[in-house]
Amino acid sequence: MDVLNFLADGFATALQWNNILFAFIGVVIGTAVGVLPGIGPMSGVALLIPVTASMTSGQDPASAATSAIILLAGVYYGAMYGGSTTSILLNTPGESSSVVTTLDGYQMAKQGRAGAALSIAAIGSFAAGIFSLVALIALAQPLSDLAIKFGPAEYTSLMLLGLAAVSGLAGKSMTKALIMTVMGLLLATIGMDNVSGVARFTYGFPILYGGLEFLTIAVGLFALGEVFKTIINREYATGEIAKVGRVLPTKQDMKTSAAPIARGSILGFFVGVLPGAGATLASFFSYIMEKKISKNPGKFGKGAIEGVAGPESANNAASGGAMVPLLTLGIPGSGTTAILMGALIMYNVQPGPLLFEDHPDVAWGLIASMFIGNLMLLLLNMPLVKVFAKIIETPPKYLLPIIVAISVFGVYAVQYTTFDLLLLIGCGIAGYFLAKNDYPLAPLVLGLVLGPMIENNMRRALTGSNGDFSVFLTKPLSLTFLVVAALWLIVPILLKMRGKKVVINEEV
Amino acid sequence: MFDRYASIVFLLIGVLFVWQSQSIGTSSYGSNVGPDIFPMGLGVVMILLSIRLFYEVLKTKTSASSEEDTKPDYKRFLLILAASLIYAYFLEDIGYVIGTFLFLLFSFQVIERGKWLVSIIISAAFSYGVYYLFVQILEGSLPGFPSFMNLG
Repeated sequence: MDVLNFLADGFATALQWNNILFAFIGVVIGTAVGVLPGIGPMSGVALLIPVTASMTSGQDPASAATSAIILLAGVYYGAMYGGSTTSILLNTPGESSSVVTTLDGYQMAKQGRAGAALSIAAIGSFAAGIFSLVALIALAQPLSDLAIKFGPAEYTSLMLLGLAAVSGLAGKSMTKALIMTVMGLLLATIGMDNVSGVARFTYGFPILYGGLEFLTIAVGLFALGEVFKTIINREYATGEIAKVGRVLPTKQDMKTSAAPIARGSILGFFVGVLPGAGATLASFFSYIMEKKISKNPGKFGKGAIEGVAGPESANNAASGGAMVPLLTLGIPGSGTTAILMGALIMYNVQPGPLLFEDHPDVAWGLIASMFIGNLMLLLLNMPLVKVFAKIIETPPKYLLPIIVAISVFGVYAVQYTTFDLLLLIGCGIAGYFLAKNDYPLAPLVLGLVLGPMIENNMRRALTGSNGDFSVFLTKPLSLTFLVVAALWLIVPILLKMRGKKVVINEEV
Repeated sequence: MFDRYASIVFLLIGVLFVWQSQSIGTSSYGSNVGPDIFPMGLGVVMILLSIRLFYEVLKTKTSASSEEDTKPDYKRFLLILAASLIYAYFLEDIGYVIGTFLFLLFSFQVIERGKWLVSIIISAAFSYGVYYLFVQILEGSLPGFPSFMNLG
């Protein structure tokens, strides 16, 4: 069967009424998550995993996984649409990938062109979303064909590369990022060993045999950590909200934005495919590029529509690009995709090259639903932009405790133990203090998700080679991955030593 | 300051994992790559990284970082933290609906006093709404009410 057939099947899955509903719920919640400062895509997706788990509990495992991932992915790219709203209207980015949108978006709002900025952001995001999906489809088959030839040694090295990339780019200090990665890997070893069945670090507590639940830790670190931070810093939104005004962009606006949208889409997609880079970095690059290309760069920062169109397209394309390594290689390149991967694993669906063979309905259903979801977002965002803008006015007084209550509900509904609730709160406290002191949280979650897979593959490789570690260096592909991984860590250090500024990804 | 303590804590974690992985029973599977290799190796890496962090902290000195213009609000944080802990710990005993209602009402009032009626309505709607949606419509299971109330 060729790609088009698979895609048609995917659409058949995605167009089932319940999956349309799930995609719709996903993108609406995603937009809200993007609009609300304080909940980023990462905590949004983490918070919704348990909710989706209970919503899909009536279905058989495979279609439950499809519906769940459709909803969760909807939250992810929906947040990219919504993030621009607060940047433009309030001058506060709803999530980190919309930081650059504030530069020109808020200026446009001050000039009474908020509606045009919002709608161009939505149009750009839509175009970018469609572009990245087409590219994803084109890359999916060849990449998984390649990846299927990987042995355990190649896999181990590839996953180490993923970890190195995320640690190398995350946060201000690489040492801290690496510590968080190792911490995640160490936490993943608690519980029953998958290979031998030996209990590790359980000390006779039966509750620890299953290991620490990924979901509990992710929700705690991101969602609760963020709530605690908002409370401690009194970061209650108190800004003047700009008027939306005329929603449709003028013909001139469309004309000036077309090229930046195209460039942002292509750039964003490839930045998104790279592990470790992500939507935030993509939007920064796009902004810098547009400013360089522009005939009158002086316009930027004073309400240039290119400065909204480019970055907003780029961050959406990047979130599509980030799905490529996740779906084809089984390696998440960012915190949010790590959480999506954790969700898939909860449903016993292992992302990776076999995903397209073992669960074509999940893979292609997801891809098709992303088409539908992007279309929904465009249709929703143009007329409803004013409604979404209202969400900003939700008083944090009510929002913050409700986030805590949803976290508690979500974790309890999946785990049914008081232990997990206490662990959740503990992780919330840890998340606050770690993030406050520049310890990035995404590498920890990535380590936690990848830990068991790295260990299994490493031990399989070592068993095959009778414990000889050189197996990782003698296989050419594996060696290449390791060299790239090492470069990813060494190059930023060298650049720093030479006094260059390193662009870092602060998607925490 | 935090970094210095953190590096010591991470060092201890590394040592702990290396030390404790010695006592993991070796299984029949695999002769030399048992379940202890991975955590032990990671523990060693953790020790090295924490030493490097400690060294980095010493080198940078404390650059009096008093850029925060607002005083951190630890009072509200501790109150809400305590409320969350009590809520989590007694959730199974007191039941979801009452527990959540009390927790939300208390937290709303901690963040900002006043507007009791709105607070009560939102807390009640949320706690019962979630319970109703989850248990009645999605057929999930939650401890709804304390067992002595016999409400299910």
